[in-house]
Amino acid sequence: MQKHQEDGRVLAGGQSLIPLLALRLARPALLIDLARIAELARLGEWEGGISIGAMVRQRVAERSPLVRQRAPLLAAALKFIAHPAIRSRGTVGGSLAHADPAAELPAVVVTLEAELVVASSERGERTIPAADFFSGHYTTALLADEILTEIRIPGPGPSTGFSFHEVSRRSGDFAMVGVAAAVAVEEGSISGARLCLTGVADRPVLATAPELGLLGVAPDRGVFEAAGEAIAARLRPPTDLHGSAEYRRQLALVLVARALRSASQRARGDNEDRREGAPA
Amino acid sequence: MNEPPEPISPYEAIPIRLRVNGELRSGAVEPRRTLADFLREELSLTGTHLGCEHGVCGACTVLVDGEPARSCLLLAVQVNGAEVRTIEGLAVAGELSPLQSAMRDQHGFQCGFCTPGFLMQIQALLEERRALSEAEVREELSGNLCRCTGYESIVRGVMAALGSGADG
Amino acid sequence: MAERSPVGGGGAARFVGASVQRGEDLRLLRGQGRYVDDVRLPGMLHAAFVRSPLAHARVVGVVTEAARRARGVVAVFDGEEIARLARPRASIPGGTDDGGPPVYTLLATDKVRLVGDPVALVVAESRYLAEDACELVEVRYEALPAVVSAEQALDPKSPPIFEDLGGNVIYGPTTKAYGDLAGTFARADLVVQAKISQHRQQNVPMEGRGIVASFDPETGELLVHAATQGVNTTRAALAAQLGLAAEKVRVLAGDIGGSFGLKFGISREEVACAAASRALGRPVRWIEDRGENLTVSGQAREESFEVEAAVTREGEILGMRVQMVVDAGAYPGLAPMVVDSVREMIPGPYRLQALEFSATVAVTNKASYVAYRGPWAAETFVRERMVDLVATELGLDPLEVRLRNVARRGEPPLRMVTGPPLAGITARESLERMAELIDLPEFRRRQAAARREGRYLGVGFATYLEPAPGPRSPDSPPDPGELEHQRMRLEADGTLSVFTAQMPHGQGHETTLAQIAADQFGVDWEQVRVVVGDSSLSPAGFGTGGSRFATMAGGATLHAARELRSKVLEVAAQLLDTGPERLAIVGGLVVGEGAPAGGLQLAELAAAAERGLLPVGTDSRLEAEVTFDGGESGWSGGTHCALVEVDCDTGRVRVERYLVVEDCGEMINPAIVEGQVRGGVAQGLGAVLLERSAYDPDGQYLSGSFMDYLLPTATDVPHIEIEHLETVRLDPDVNFRGVGEGGMIVAPPTLCNAIADALAPLGARITEQHLPPSRLLELIGTIGG
Repeated sequence: MQKHQEDGRVLAGGQSLIPLLALRLARPALLIDLARIAELARLGEWEGGISIGAMVRQRVAERSPLVRQRAPLLAAALKFIAHPAIRSRGTVGGSLAHADPAAELPAVVVTLEAELVVASSERGERTIPAADFFSGHYTTALLADEILTEIRIPGPGPSTGFSFHEVSRRSGDFAMVGVAAAVAVEEGSISGARLCLTGVADRPVLATAPELGLLGVAPDRGVFEAAGEAIAARLRPPTDLHGSAEYRRQLALVLVARALRSASQRARGDNEDRREGAPA
Repeated sequence: MNEPPEPISPYEAIPIRLRVNGELRSGAVEPRRTLADFLREELSLTGTHLGCEHGVCGACTVLVDGEPARSCLLLAVQVNGAEVRTIEGLAVAGELSPLQSAMRDQHGFQCGFCTPGFLMQIQALLEERRALSEAEVREELSGNLCRCTGYESIVRGVMAALGSGADG
Repeated sequence: MAERSPVGGGGAARFVGASVQRGEDLRLLRGQGRYVDDVRLPGMLHAAFVRSPLAHARVVGVVTEAARRARGVVAVFDGEEIARLARPRASIPGGTDDGGPPVYTLLATDKVRLVGDPVALVVAESRYLAEDACELVEVRYEALPAVVSAEQALDPKSPPIFEDLGGNVIYGPTTKAYGDLAGTFARADLVVQAKISQHRQQNVPMEGRGIVASFDPETGELLVHAATQGVNTTRAALAAQLGLAAEKVRVLAGDIGGSFGLKFGISREEVACAAASRALGRPVRWIEDRGENLTVSGQAREESFEVEAAVTREGEILGMRVQMVVDAGAYPGLAPMVVDSVREMIPGPYRLQALEFSATVAVTNKASYVAYRGPWAAETFVRERMVDLVATELGLDPLEVRLRNVARRGEPPLRMVTGPPLAGITARESLERMAELIDLPEFRRRQAAARREGRYLGVGFATYLEPAPGPRSPDSPPDPGELEHQRMRLEADGTLSVFTAQMPHGQGHETTLAQIAADQFGVDWEQVRVVVGDSSLSPAGFGTGGSRFATMAGGATLHAARELRSKVLEVAAQLLDTGPERLAIVGGLVVGEGAPAGGLQLAELAAAAERGLLPVGTDSRLEAEVTFDGGESGWSGGTHCALVEVDCDTGRVRVERYLVVEDCGEMINPAIVEGQVRGGVAQGLGAVLLERSAYDPDGQYLSGSFMDYLLPTATDVPHIEIEHLETVRLDPDVNFRGVGEGGMIVAPPTLCNAIADALAPLGARITEQHLPPSRLLELIGTIGG
């Protein structure tokens, strides 16, 4: 990387980069394929949580019992990424480093307060909190000579439920809006909540329990809807062919409420699974 | 971390070796050559079709080390050493495979252009040996586009193949 | 259920009416199909086009030197050079050259008129290298304001897209009137008005366009491998545009990856490649990529209608006044023909007494108008949406309004006010049967209960007729160009060869024609070889399109097989020294009085005929040629129904049930019929919920990839329930009718009507066809729009 900062591109799974090459929208002089670096494909325990090498294929993570057990939100979100044939090549790290504002995984790592380990041949490793990693459209805190090597996700807290909801035009498309949510419920009231939205800004948008007015209140439909309204009101989402800013704001409102509700139900052990509006 | 290699000229051919439908094949490819083009142009395996070349339609799906993958989104150099299977490898001793027969019974496809991608995607599904509902099958196939059939006949073919317990 | 075929000469029908497996699948399922992209010729070169990034601009200069010097490049042709080699259009039947303005060139020269307009052609040793070199061609443009809507185009101050057209109107305004319009409006209790529109959408076959053109300088012959719906049409257009004698052009077509109307004749790019091959004396291949396909191959359906309907309080629709405006895109195409069909078909199966119809076709800086599955579909959309608007206005159930207006067989006048006879229609039966199938009263109760819980269910119906090909009309004899010609031959090995001008591209014609021929002749269907895709072997005829195949080619096959069977039996009688009336062909053997105990093999018979073992004067050529005019023909048609639920928080629509009650005459192969119906419905549902060819105000195309032009996937198309109605036989022999277009024609109004029904309590009045989630929330006022 050091040598080719200007015109090189790192090739992880290639499921985003190769289309850009095919459409002649990216034209690097050098592609650096990380696929042969075995240590980047490790998936294992890390403290109470998990460590995922940047080159772990999404399909491998999706099938991993460890991921399901230690990072249920990640397991849920992975299923929303495109299609099996894309996930079989696409990597967890590749999606994070690509930093598409509509992608699922950035929202997941921010919600879960993951740490991203990055490395350069010159300066060695450093660790970036997920919340500081995404800095804009397809831009991250990675320096030109750095690559992402590892994602460390803390284990699920006690009495915490997770859910991922999104609305896309079709199954597997990039969502117009997605919401990752984690809610902790203790003794009938909410003791913590974090959620993160995709598709509404140039990077994942985080909101926490105090901002959501959820701390210490009993989980019910009304408070979740109020939280949705509060977040939607402060968003300035983009408009594209598939949905206007106003439509995305409406989706944010609805999905925040739905995601908080199902996360809180799961926090109380009710594991009902829901997919948004997928035709039966 | 290994030191990255020097850049290679875009026109320089890199030798690759891989197994395709069980046979050892080798070639020399420019770094930018896709697996799909390598299969179609160098190996004359034109059964794999290109419907969009940007990873959405799924017509070019092949199996790479047993997993379905878009051959338009892979560079040939990336599959050096891999095991690749294409539609040409499905028939067993010249006879239609159980999946191919089920599709023929159900009139699965019409124009045949999306067929290779569907068959390879479904083949991977059959080899997982999971019990799947019709809704789950539709979800699994939602990354493959067909413009002719409205999918019902394809889904029926998959259900029939799943029901027969066939994995090849 | 399907009726069985009448007893053919060879015995009872065995194949027609059965869902026999497709012969095509033996190669297609093995990856052994041969599509145009699979053709490899020695010395073949690869073409790529330099295309306009602007919607409307003057071309100031094209500099090709750098590209010519680039690695692997053999030639670069700019628009001027191509203009010296080929004409932009052909004055042949089905061609677009009517001799009048506008004048333009095959590739752009003076101006570009849409994003993607081809400006130069690069021919190189590989496609990768051709595309590399395209980036080195420097084109200087002087931007002009883009005309991106019909409304803009109709403004006389809009910048002219073709200077010689005197404005941006290419056809009309024309007005035609039928019946006593003033009278119907005077008698009406109410006039219902609406502005109804369809959005731009497109064919999107999974295989794009493509050609491998190979000119042989020694013989002066051009051999073309094409993806086309008709080899003869392609050959005629190519010859005319290149200035070659038709005999010097041979067009071959292999398997074709879908078309839906797109691949008729030949496109500008394909002609340019053939011209390049002629200039270079080497084969030139061009395979359209998906971006090109979506941006420039052609688009359809963008039409708007001002409609007034004169109705009675009881829901009788007496008369309609319709003004149609077509946004036809940049270059001349199909739009004027579509206008005629829409006008003629708009009364549908209803007893409309009067119609005034005017139409205008505008040119815009967008992709050119092409045929897309049921090109005239607007007649059904406008009529069926209008019926529901009338019902809403009168507080009647839409099904009731349909039943009140639909023509009844046996009650005159059994014809549309615009002329076409309605002989044999089963529209009323299809409506009645649909009402039973869905139990409408029960649905209404469920709908009311759901509404109380804040859930929005809806039901929608639409009825259509498909001129496939339509009944024989006493006032219009068949056009010679519409006749179906066919040749059939018994080969020396006992195979029956069927030569047809039809060009299947997914419809399974090789199987269905074999079924008919086999039954009529008396052989196994697998013994029949259907020969398509070679202009040197094809009988005359324009190819596959307009849902004509079943009646026309099916009928021609039936008659040819009967004729050839008689001839074969004559020959057999000679050989066996018996009378032909004592013989029959059963299971591939000649049997009967005088035949050997085990029967006479057809191969033996053919061999004997070939060896000249027959008495002098016997016609021993085991070949028949027939021309079929369609006989009495008839309509296909039916009623579709959708039950939906709309999520009013997200705007997503779930299709709970989708039902089809249809009549396409006698079914040759029910599985193929149902595949056509379901495929058409899928495209229609896609049009409403997903697909739109979108432009920005500068004429930039926004739907140029599969991430933005959204085709329905397996999770978007519901299970489609189909019931076939018993048909009214109009012809003594041929009652197969086409079924290719109906699903696509009627699904959009069916779904829109269901969504409108669901959202009725929220005050949404739906008069457009594209209803993505965001638009639905706008229509119910959840978000601004």
